[in-house]
Amino acid sequence: MTQSTRARQVGVDIQETEENRAVVEAIEADNADCAVRHMPGLVRITSPTRIVVNRESVEQRLGREWETHEFQLAIVSYFGHIAEWDDDQILIQWDH
Amino acid sequence: MAAPRKLSMKQRYAALTRDLDWDLSYVDEDTAYPYTSFEGIKIHDWSKWEDPFRLTIDAYMKYQAEKDKRLYAVLDSFAQGQGHLQLTDPSYLNAMKLFLQGVTPLEYQAHRNFAYLARFLNGPGPRFAALCQSQDELRHAQTEIHTLSNYNKYYQGFHSWNHQHDRVWYLSVPKSYFDDAVTAGPFEFLIAIGFSFEYLLTNLLFVPFMSGASFNGDLPTMTFGFSAQSDESRHMTLGLEAIKFMLEQDPDNVPIVQAWIDKWFWRGYRLLALVSQMLDYMLPRKVMSWKEAFELYFEEQMLGGLFPDLAYYGITPPRHVEHAIAEKEVLSHQVYWTLYQFSFAAGFTTTVPSEDAQKWLAEQYPQTFEKLYKPLWDKASAVVDNGGRYFYQGLPQLCQVCQVPMLFTEPGDPTTICQRHTEFEGERYDFCSDGCQWIFEREPEKYVQAWLPVHQIYQGNCGGPTVPDVLAWYKLQPGDNGEIAGNVEQTAWEAWHATSSAEEQAPAPVAGN
Amino acid sequence: MAVRSIGEYKFPSRSRQELYGDDQLVHLWWKGNLWFCAAACFRAPKAMSWNDFVAGMVNPLFSCDPDFDAATTTFTWTVDDKPVSPAGDESLEALGVGHKSLITCVAA
Ligand SMILES: [Fe+2]
Ligand SMILES: [Fe+2]
Ligand SMILES: [Zn+2]
Repeated sequence: MTQSTRARQVGVDIQETEENRAVVEAIEADNADCAVRHMPGLVRITSPTRIVVNRESVEQRLGREWETHEFQLAIVSYFGHIAEWDDDQILIQWDH
Repeated sequence: MAAPRKLSMKQRYAALTRDLDWDLSYVDEDTAYPYTSFEGIKIHDWSKWEDPFRLTIDAYMKYQAEKDKRLYAVLDSFAQGQGHLQLTDPSYLNAMKLFLQGVTPLEYQAHRNFAYLARFLNGPGPRFAALCQSQDELRHAQTEIHTLSNYNKYYQGFHSWNHQHDRVWYLSVPKSYFDDAVTAGPFEFLIAIGFSFEYLLTNLLFVPFMSGASFNGDLPTMTFGFSAQSDESRHMTLGLEAIKFMLEQDPDNVPIVQAWIDKWFWRGYRLLALVSQMLDYMLPRKVMSWKEAFELYFEEQMLGGLFPDLAYYGITPPRHVEHAIAEKEVLSHQVYWTLYQFSFAAGFTTTVPSEDAQKWLAEQYPQTFEKLYKPLWDKASAVVDNGGRYFYQGLPQLCQVCQVPMLFTEPGDPTTICQRHTEFEGERYDFCSDGCQWIFEREPEKYVQAWLPVHQIYQGNCGGPTVPDVLAWYKLQPGDNGEIAGNVEQTAWEAWHATSSAEEQAPAPVAGN
Repeated sequence: MAVRSIGEYKFPSRSRQELYGDDQLVHLWWKGNLWFCAAACFRAPKAMSWNDFVAGMVNPLFSCDPDFDAATTTFTWTVDDKPVSPAGDESLEALGVGHKSLITCVAA
């Protein structure tokens, strides 16, 4: 397989729901280089570098407390590697 | 008194996976964990396995309960609101029948084998991750059955899926695939199911399938699909952790893992042949073509993203992947053409694609559809116009490894069927592809045992010598199989929609089960 | 390479010839005709004559193709890639057809 020279994307698919809109907006705000594509029932966010989900950004938009575990209700699929998942942040990027 | 400070996620996870574990004193490790050495994988430090989700029991239970609550709210409103009338067309449900017959029993098998890993892996971290996945997979089996049972009241083909999984010819494809995985050792199983299936290929199954449900008016399936898939991201993570863990523990593990990737990519890819036709032919409203899904979810994400990452460890893209890429132009057409001729013996129905559908196929497959497949459909239509219906008068040759009828063509020549053979201990064995032949030759002792449905029928093990005997043994009922046009399901649907005024009573169930 | 296992790993083929008595499995492939999605598999007596094979197995299958005419469509034949010119009363076994052999035909 030839190694492509284009950027190695990471991505996450999120279920399209009322609550998740805040999550999607937070991701868009915190990841300047991400692209958002709507597909039936889901939102697909990709980035040529990494995707970070910040608890505080989500809470600001939701207007309530949100723990990062709640992201499990939103996520449908992803590609990349979950490099960090703690109380404040989820980070998806490739390792090597 | 101040409330005790809440532990952070990291601390809670460490407390669960480290503090609650202990060193064995009365038996040695090999006695307690007897299955983690025979495959040749060397592990020096089990504590190096980290679950990035840092999942603990309280969080697991809380969020799984929430997922189920959401799903059952949808199921209730579906049943109350006559949701089964909202489909684009009853033929859409063929995809769901295939799913229930083919995939749901695999969820249960996955549940069982992850329960085994939850007991027999040496490290507490992977044991707990396997335990969660085991419970997830049981939940998937249950919610899939429960969701689709709503259709069983009104439509054909949903009544005997579990019985059929163990018997019907095309279902031996998923069944034998999983049997192969669960009869391997724990590490191979992790690469087979955790990595190759869940990480490498699952998106090709679930995401288009759920979008297809959403696009075709099937809200409950969409909801259970998303509900299951939200667990899937944890399973993908476990698969990726598993492979990185093995690769990092010892350089001697690399060639073993590579061979498993090679084997299980091809096994999984052949299984997905059934999904390819679902996307391109079974969905009345199309979401995306198999070719596009393959490019997006496999070529871009996996070959473009994952494999450069694994190259760090010396892992290369799977053997025979070039054949899969080349096949994306022809795969779904060849598979549906096969199902069309054999649906007299299937738990779903088929038909000649409509004019609109053929136009869409020609747009999606400009190199191949009009040249190679449209002429076949035209000829099949002419048979119908003359009052007939083409069904294959016989049984097909099967591949010894993937068990799919040998319908695939030579790499680079879509007009010649690919025939491969090998001899082992004086007996001849047939394969659909270089990939399946390679898998056989690596472990012939395993695949000589294959329960090939066609051979079993000829040995007299499937209810009797005639086609009606076999169909009765499959528990196929009238309307489950054959042609879509004129099927009882189609006529009932038309009747329901002709009389659907607000005062009209709910349609009576038609399926006799 | 052999299967790595926790014990001895040796099982008989689940489709060995002896399971079919005096019969054997025979594959029939009309090469180049995509109307048939795959080659067929039959159970046939080893001693079956070529004529009986054609009349009882080949023709009923090929008749699903509206362009096939048993009287006029002619073929060249191979058995496991070896060209053969089958005569009417010759047995399959005499023609070199073994268990799971592939009989291939190409329309002339
Ligand atoms: Fe599952
Ligand atoms: Fe899973
Ligand atoms: Zn195969």
